[in-house]
Amino acid sequence: MSICQDLGLNFQQRMGANISQLERDIGSEQFPPNEHYFGLVNFGNTCYSNSVLQALYFCRPFREKVLEYKAKNKRTKETLLTCLADLFYSIATQKKKVGSIAPKKFIARLRKEKEEFDNYMQQDAHEFLNFLINHINEIILAERNQSTLKLQKNVSGESVTCNGTLPHSSEPTWVHEIFQGTLTSETRCLNCETVSSKDEHFFDLQVDVGQNTSITHCLKCFSDTETLCNDNKFKCDNCSSYQEAQKRMRVKKLPLILALHLKRFKYMEQYNRHIKVSHRVVFPLELRLFNTSDDAVNPDRLYDLVAVVVHCGSGPNRGHYISIVKSHGFWLLFDDDMVDKIDASAIEDFYGLTSDIQKSSETGYILFYQSRDASC
Amino acid sequence: MGTMRKKTQVSFVIRDEEERQHKNGVSSLQLDAAQGRLYSAGRDGIIRVWSTANGLQDRYIQSMEHHTDWVNDIVLCCGGKNLISASSDTTVKVWNAPKGFCMSTLRTHKDYVRTLAYAKDKEQVASAGLDRAIFLWDVNTLTALTASNNTVTTSSLVGNKESIYSLAMNPPGTILVSGSTEKVLRVWDPRNCSRLMKLRGHADNVKALVVSKDGTQCVSGSSDGTIKLWSLSQQRCVSTIRVHTEAVWALLATENFTHIISGGRDRLVIITELRNPDNFLIVCEETAPILKLCFTADQQGIWVSTSESDIRCWKLPPLNSLNADMYNQSTYNTNNVFQLQPIHHIPGGPAIKHYTVLNDKRHIITKDTANNVAVYDVLKACKIEDLGEVNYEEEIKKRFKMIYVPNWFNVDLKTGMLTIHLGQDETDCLSAWVSAKEAGLTSEIDQKVNFGALLLQALLEHWNHVNRVNESGQKVMGNSFFSVPLHTPLIFSEVGGRTLYRLQVGDAGGETEGNLLNETVPPWVVDVAIEMSAPKLNKLPFYLLSHSSCQSKQDRQKKDRLVANDFIQCRKVAEHVVEKIVGGGDANGAGAGAGAGAGSGKGSANEDSGNDAPEERVELLCCDQVLDPNMDLRTVRHFIWKSNVEFTLHYRILKQ
Repeated sequence: MSICQDLGLNFQQRMGANISQLERDIGSEQFPPNEHYFGLVNFGNTCYSNSVLQALYFCRPFREKVLEYKAKNKRTKETLLTCLADLFYSIATQKKKVGSIAPKKFIARLRKEKEEFDNYMQQDAHEFLNFLINHINEIILAERNQSTLKLQKNVSGESVTCNGTLPHSSEPTWVHEIFQGTLTSETRCLNCETVSSKDEHFFDLQVDVGQNTSITHCLKCFSDTETLCNDNKFKCDNCSSYQEAQKRMRVKKLPLILALHLKRFKYMEQYNRHIKVSHRVVFPLELRLFNTSDDAVNPDRLYDLVAVVVHCGSGPNRGHYISIVKSHGFWLLFDDDMVDKIDASAIEDFYGLTSDIQKSSETGYILFYQSRDASC
Repeated sequence: MGTMRKKTQVSFVIRDEEERQHKNGVSSLQLDAAQGRLYSAGRDGIIRVWSTANGLQDRYIQSMEHHTDWVNDIVLCCGGKNLISASSDTTVKVWNAPKGFCMSTLRTHKDYVRTLAYAKDKEQVASAGLDRAIFLWDVNTLTALTASNNTVTTSSLVGNKESIYSLAMNPPGTILVSGSTEKVLRVWDPRNCSRLMKLRGHADNVKALVVSKDGTQCVSGSSDGTIKLWSLSQQRCVSTIRVHTEAVWALLATENFTHIISGGRDRLVIITELRNPDNFLIVCEETAPILKLCFTADQQGIWVSTSESDIRCWKLPPLNSLNADMYNQSTYNTNNVFQLQPIHHIPGGPAIKHYTVLNDKRHIITKDTANNVAVYDVLKACKIEDLGEVNYEEEIKKRFKMIYVPNWFNVDLKTGMLTIHLGQDETDCLSAWVSAKEAGLTSEIDQKVNFGALLLQALLEHWNHVNRVNESGQKVMGNSFFSVPLHTPLIFSEVGGRTLYRLQVGDAGGETEGNLLNETVPPWVVDVAIEMSAPKLNKLPFYLLSHSSCQSKQDRQKKDRLVANDFIQCRKVAEHVVEKIVGGGDANGAGAGAGAGAGSGKGSANEDSGNDAPEERVELLCCDQVLDPNMDLRTVRHFIWKSNVEFTLHYRILKQ
């Protein structure tokens, strides 16, 4: 217990049906060695964090890098990353196979880091994911810069001003290596018909949802041609003037883990608030991207669905988040501190609703697809 | 109702009085065979008239100037008496063609007008563009418009879903075809404005169209690189002609619709037999993408305009020679190009392609398509130096000055000439106060001038406005330093939008012009240009502290927050330190009151100090850098402090 207190973690060993039920469902023979299925205690509307953390834990490349970070950084200043690393380490080193754990220190740190999360309100899971990924990346970059500076100081014996050789902020971090992809936007001026293209990086793709569609369809719409016209004309360098143009976005570099955010919360002017779009969108277990650019680096990547953050309820500030993850061929459902094994066929319960009458729904919100060539 | 009118901005073009050459691409051509005149529509906003007589060195006759943006299309009507033009300034204009003046302006379109079509037998013109609307105009009504009788009824053809880039009508006006980014051709009967059909088949925008006289056939040229022959009676595509490697932008059919001449992005002019597309011949290769083709009077040659400013005339091959035996190569090379040299050439001038505003926010360095570098003075609306083909980047570097002046104008190169916009939006044209002496306008030391105000005063110098009176009852015309060239085109328009009024600076004195100016000129411009009210000064807050190297216990350690005009020189701040902090020790003087003292432009200098100049008694520092007493505060903040927050200066006493 003393070690755990050092880590700032509270244990709740739930006795009774739940735990043994999960172990029984999986079967002791089948239970993967060195794997732990631990629920996360809710500290009052922290399911947005719990669901994302579980999904990330089961993105294997990410988990491995976080644990590696933990092993390398023995005692450094507390950051959100050290808290995350401690949490993952604590799950990974549990004696029990199943149970639940309270991510107290992580939540406390999160509330310190960002004002928006410093309350007991329901938050948007995607906003949290976005913050977490970017923030971790910044921590790694800052630590890298610091160590380079230290190194330089030691070598020259005096502080040096930054020159061209440092800092290596352009070199990718492991967060980049896992989540970062590249989009290329091609714009064709309708007057001179010159095509100009611009690349931008992304950590996740945000797609609009249509009723009775599929992820492939949403991605196709994402890459549909948009015409820049009226007051939104394109300033063409070649024409030195504003002209109509056609623009489309395609994927140039496919990430190792593709995070897809389904834009299910739409701002409705007539209600002056965000309304949940519960449209049924099928997400396949296997995914290939077809909206890749002609010069794409790795257009044929085949992705497997590894985790889904599910929103349950009727609006962004109400309802609940859970996650379903794939681990060693099983599908598991994490609902805060509860963990259940589910059938793969149950996934389709989270596609969405075909009728628009029902307000509340349990729908896939963030999908994590892992490239098959990553799991070696 | 309810929609706010967009803010009005004032713009002007820096150019020569007479611009005898096109300065940008030429979008359209029209020939008046009877008069031997060629009309060309320029992307420099100017329609020019040329003589087609043989053996002329200089073909220039005159310019027709009234558009403020690209002229995209022109048609000559009424047997050469009138010209109709369509422009990206969203207007359609009616011209007296022989005399070259604008008779009326039609403002019915809400976006760029891209294309026109003409039914000769009915004297009817159709216009269309990016607002998706097609309007039908009766030319005889248009030419009868006067200032008092200025309402015109028009028919419109509705149903287009996307921007229209091409139109065609047959001479009797029984068929009208439109081409758009929708990739379909829409066919109408202009007599009753009814929709006849939609023709699908192209894979991209349709940018060129011709219709046969009887209205039974149509040829289309598309950005998909193909030319299609359509039977309108059968409502189908008869054949697809693939002779170009890139987008087709211009088409011209021979008299009896047997051959089609085409041009486009691949810079080739090709003639093809419509019924036997294997018979084709490259007429010539141009130096830039082709925008328009037009027959010579004898139909033995064609005038060709491109996205560059030259216009060339090429000889056409005899139509019966286009058999596959003679020119049977199917691949392009110079051997199967019919003509290597044009028979006539109307040279164009270069367009300005790049510009850099210098730090003084008054001079602009430009580079044109011929790599000529030039220097312009925005304040006086003129070019001051032609540097020729020198290194553009070098010249910019050479003219670097460590001064900071706020942005007060925007630059636009859409016409290939410098257009300067003065407005009150993101860039406030009244934000630049400078020392009149530094600007070389006077030798008086303490006079401050506002660039935008001076320029507006000069631009509207000739406007006989009723309020143009000063306190002593005398008329004050313009500013007391300089005037701008009288030919300078002055344009009032909605910000980023439609032109309201265009005139030349020298014409503002006219009665009609005066009345139109009264309607158009926004109040903020009248305030500074006519009523000569001084624009607001920019206040810059800063903190003044004693430098750590000379702190004594008496020194106040509290941060004094001061406010001064942004163009105040460090010398004035030094004066303030001498007077209020070092000298008097007068407790009342410090703080807020002192700030006002430093801010009062001419300042209450040091009448009684008499001995040393303040800068010899006190030196000022920013970020530990000693400041030149001549440097102004905004320059110190921009180049040394490099931030907009907590601007802090330190002083160090040199002599007590």
